[in-house]
Amino acid sequence: MRYELSVNGQPHVVDVPAGTSLTSVLRDDLGLTATRLGCGHGSCGACYVLLDGSAVASCTMPVDEAVGHEIVTVEGLSQDGHLHPLQEAFLKEDAMQCGACTSGMLISAVALLEENPHPQEEEIREALSGHLCRCGVYGRIVMAVKEASR
Amino acid sequence: MSREAPRRWGERPPEQLEKRIVIGPEGEVIARSGKVEYGQGIRTGFRRIVAHELRLPEEAVRVELGETDVVPWDGGTFGSMSTQTDGQALRLAAAYAYQLLLERAAARLGVAPANLVARDGAFHATDGREASYAELAAQAPLAGPLPAAADVAFAPGPDFEPEPDRVEARALVLGQVRYPHDVRLPGMLRGHVLPPPRPGAHLVSLDDTAAKALPGVVAVVHEGDFVGVLAERREQALQAIQSLEATWSDPEGDAEPPLEAQLRQDKDVEAALASAKVRHEATYHTPHIAHASILPSAAAADVRKDGADLYVATQRPFGLRDEAAAILSLDPKDVHVHPQQMSGMYGGGGWGVAALDAIRLSQAAARPVLVEWTRAEEFQRSAQRPWLDAKIEGAVGPDGRIVGYRSHVRTNPHIYASGRVPPEVAGMTSGRNAVPPYDLGQMDVSLTVERAQIQTSAFRSLAAAPNVFASESFIDELASLAGVDPLELRLRHATDPRLRRVLETVGAMSNWPERPRGDGHGFGLAATIYHGTYCAEVAEVYVSQSGKVRLGRVFAAVDPGRLVHPDGARSQIEGGIVQAMSWTLFEETKVSDGRITTRGWRDYPIATFRDAPEKIEVRFVYDMETPSTGIGEPGSVPIAAAIANAVCAATGARVRELPLRPARIQKATR
Repeated sequence: MRYELSVNGQPHVVDVPAGTSLTSVLRDDLGLTATRLGCGHGSCGACYVLLDGSAVASCTMPVDEAVGHEIVTVEGLSQDGHLHPLQEAFLKEDAMQCGACTSGMLISAVALLEENPHPQEEEIREALSGHLCRCGVYGRIVMAVKEASR
Repeated sequence: MSREAPRRWGERPPEQLEKRIVIGPEGEVIARSGKVEYGQGIRTGFRRIVAHELRLPEEAVRVELGETDVVPWDGGTFGSMSTQTDGQALRLAAAYAYQLLLERAAARLGVAPANLVARDGAFHATDGREASYAELAAQAPLAGPLPAAADVAFAPGPDFEPEPDRVEARALVLGQVRYPHDVRLPGMLRGHVLPPPRPGAHLVSLDDTAAKALPGVVAVVHEGDFVGVLAERREQALQAIQSLEATWSDPEGDAEPPLEAQLRQDKDVEAALASAKVRHEATYHTPHIAHASILPSAAAADVRKDGADLYVATQRPFGLRDEAAAILSLDPKDVHVHPQQMSGMYGGGGWGVAALDAIRLSQAAARPVLVEWTRAEEFQRSAQRPWLDAKIEGAVGPDGRIVGYRSHVRTNPHIYASGRVPPEVAGMTSGRNAVPPYDLGQMDVSLTVERAQIQTSAFRSLAAAPNVFASESFIDELASLAGVDPLELRLRHATDPRLRRVLETVGAMSNWPERPRGDGHGFGLAATIYHGTYCAEVAEVYVSQSGKVRLGRVFAAVDPGRLVHPDGARSQIEGGIVQAMSWTLFEETKVSDGRITTRGWRDYPIATFRDAPEKIEVRFVYDMETPSTGIGEPGSVPIAAAIANAVCAATGARVRELPLRPARIQKATR
């Protein structure tokens, strides 16, 4: 099946079996591997992307449902070599170890600050609670989101 | 094994300068190590060390890790040893390279070495003449065996900036870092393997008719007990695997006898125990847990008749190279291992089972193949942390001193598929930290290592975290029975000044004497000496009526000797605490009839943002003259006992079995 998608402001056409997950299309057809595949069930948060500004799991979303929406991945967060303020804040706080969860964390943090520019710590923890980090850098991620919200 | 590998366990081959440091024609410096990076920050630490000795800015040094064609042989990245071993070797190599360059510059410019100044990759004479590292290195190879450390002049300092960015940090936030999952090779297929339901089971029958008829399926590979599929897309390979009809035999029983080791045996232990006023016995249990990496295992292989390239995340690149060479009947030098970024594996990344899947499928297909495991496979095909039981007896004399301690530990092998290991190796792995770091009078500590129903392997700190959960819980129980403050009792029996210092520091950080107690709010303490690093931790907990534990503040005092990268070290301690609090409160791999039945995050919850401690405070207390020891594991070691001790302080419930589930706490409270 042919699908027309808008990813990071660019139009793309892909030809994949109907029902293929958006994660697979991004990673395997468009080469946008910053979106990670962690569980395939929407329960770890590694695959989150922005869909019309909201953070959603791309692994449980068939590509069919992504048509007609504006998709943003981590590749689309920086502009002309300038990091997004959240990317800068993650760097400053060193809010990552192995990095496997970092993309998904950034995406949900971007969505949070769009909706709530000055969240309290509890709100940050709640908004990111669907994202698992096995290296245990949760505290640094909270600090990074606070830093970016200043 | 290839020729450069040492023959004895734990031995390291001799060091050669040319294997460690290369200075190229443009003056670029490459530093090489067989260790690998998986988020612990060694690339950053190694770069600092080398740049400092060569008097270069850090950006001038590139660190190559684990590329088997070029880096020195290495046994694997384990045991918080990278800075201790390879950090020292790189420091020595860089200092020696600097010395050779300085001698050459002095000869070329006809100036005494003392009158040359190194700056920006060149030696400068007072009259303005200069000689660059590049031209001096081009004069003759920088090569030869490394001299003894005593024969080399090291750079003064270090005057390290406190917080450098990690080398990979920018690529990580841009999503540009490449994990094996992200490798895309020309003509690459996607592969998936059908694993036997239990290790050692044999394939009885296979019907692949339905699988072969599926779209995108290129081939079904069936060689003996090995079954796999190759397809154009990842989802197609997975669907084909699910369409295979296979029956398997039951594995043959493993009658291997358990291994026994005596870790410490003092005289008259029974007499000491019997003589005391207070005598106590308790048994502790920790279950199997999973490494539970965020990304399931993956590997890409390109196997050709004359060689193979492996794009993998492994803690053991040379071990994997040699195994692949044996499977493929190739010379190890024709197998090229290219380490990719690793989704954290915490000790479970040594064995490369996904890589072996990819190697066999690529060999069968004669094309490059990428294998990506599913989440369920990651739980079910991975080796787990051994379970551990510790039965401990101890006694306190009338003067409040512990006079005797006897502990028997039963657990499984901490070395994957190792066969029989020598007793001293079992003691260093499965018996790690079973002997407490205090003077407890007459001590008897013994170990039994038996096979589990499932495959077991190394996990961050090996047996230290379970052993310290048991022994540090027990010390608190003795303190309670003897009516002595738990910090005071530990200090009374801690003879090592560095251990005393971390205990006193964490006591001050947590304002221990004034700590709240009872009504569901409590503080708990535990300490350890792990591979030369001293670590004492205090956990604050809130326990609800239903037995649910929430962590407040956690305090850690750590002495790792000379610190190279303070913020990186702090991050490792914080991460160790969060991961280990997750083991402590939530984690248990479910095993039934010899099979792992855990499939996903829903039946294997780990700590989330909601569960992470409110705040973690880490303080390093150290001397720059004391050689560096590791920080990757020690932070994770005492936290289970600190939490269990805090739960007891908060509720009176002594729980001796992990995880500390609400039902267990409720039951122990009544």
